[in-house]
Amino acid sequence: MRAFRIVIAGHGALPAALLDTAEMICGPLADITAASIGPDDSPDGYADALRSAIGQDGRRVLVLCDLLGGTPFNVASAISRRSPRIVCISGANLAMTVEAALANGDLDDDLVERLLEAGRTGIVETERHRARRAS
Amino acid sequence: MSLRLVRIDDRLIHGQVVAGWLRAIGGRRIVIVDDATARDEFLREVLTLAAPQGVPVEVYDVAAGAARCIELAAKPEPVIVLARSPRTILGLRQAGVPIEVVDLGGMGAGPGRKRIHKTISVSPGEIRELREIERLGTRVEIQIVVDDRPISFASVVSGE
Repeated sequence: MRAFRIVIAGHGALPAALLDTAEMICGPLADITAASIGPDDSPDGYADALRSAIGQDGRRVLVLCDLLGGTPFNVASAISRRSPRIVCISGANLAMTVEAALANGDLDDDLVERLLEAGRTGIVETERHRARRAS
Repeated sequence: MSLRLVRIDDRLIHGQVVAGWLRAIGGRRIVIVDDATARDEFLREVLTLAAPQGVPVEVYDVAAGAARCIELAAKPEPVIVLARSPRTILGLRQAGVPIEVVDLGGMGAGPGRKRIHKTISVSPGEIRELREIERLGTRVEIQIVVDDRPISFASVVSGE
C-alpha cells in the first residue's frame, strides 16, 4: 500500500493522459491527481491549483512533472523547497509514473532513487540497446 | 552579437524558453535582469533549478545586469537575456547594452492591460516604454515560440 499521494503536474493534455494511461496498465489508481497548465493560465493561478491538488492534510506528496524548467516544475519545486513533505521530480514518463503508482510504503530516498532509475532505464534506442544486450 | 535572444517574459524561465528557445539558438547561459528577483534569494534559487545542467543562470538588478550584458555581448558564447518588463529592457538600453531586437514572449493579461496578440498584453505605460526602446534603435517584435513568425510591435499597436 502506497503511503503517499501523487500529483502529476504538466502542460496541456499530458498530466490527465499520463494518469489515464497509467491506469490502463495498473488498473484503477487511488490518490493520484493530474494538475495541468494551459496556454492562458498564469503561474499564480497554476500555483493555487497545484497547492489544492497537493492538499493540506500533512501527508507526503510526490509531484511528478513533465519538463525541467517548465512552469509546472518551477511552481512545484518552489513549493517543495518550502515544504519537506513534498518531493518534486521532473522528466516523468510512463515507466516512472507506473513505478510510483505501484510503490509500497513511504516516499523515502530509496524510492526516489528507484523512480529516477525507472525513468531512465526505459530510454533506449533499439540498435544500441540490442548491441548492449548481446555483449 | 552574442545576446542571441533578449526576451520580455513575465514567467522568465519556463517550458517555451528551455524546450524551445534554448535548443533553437544553442543558448549556453541565461541572464535574468529583474530588480525584484535579484533581491529574493529564494526566487533566485528556484530559477537556477529551472535550467538544464550545463546552462548557468545569473540574476542581476538592472544596474549590474547592464554591465554584465555589455561584457557578455562582446563574447562569442550565445546568451539568452530574460526580463519581466519593458522598463527593465529600457534601462539596459539606456545603460548602453547593444540590443538589436527585443522579443515580447509573454506578458500576462490583467486590469488596465490590453491584449495585443495571443498571450501578449500591455499597459499604456509599457506601450510608451516599448516605443522609447524602438526610438533608441532596438526593434520590438512579438515571437512567442520559435516557430512563430516575428510580428512587429508597431504593426499591432498602430493608432494607439
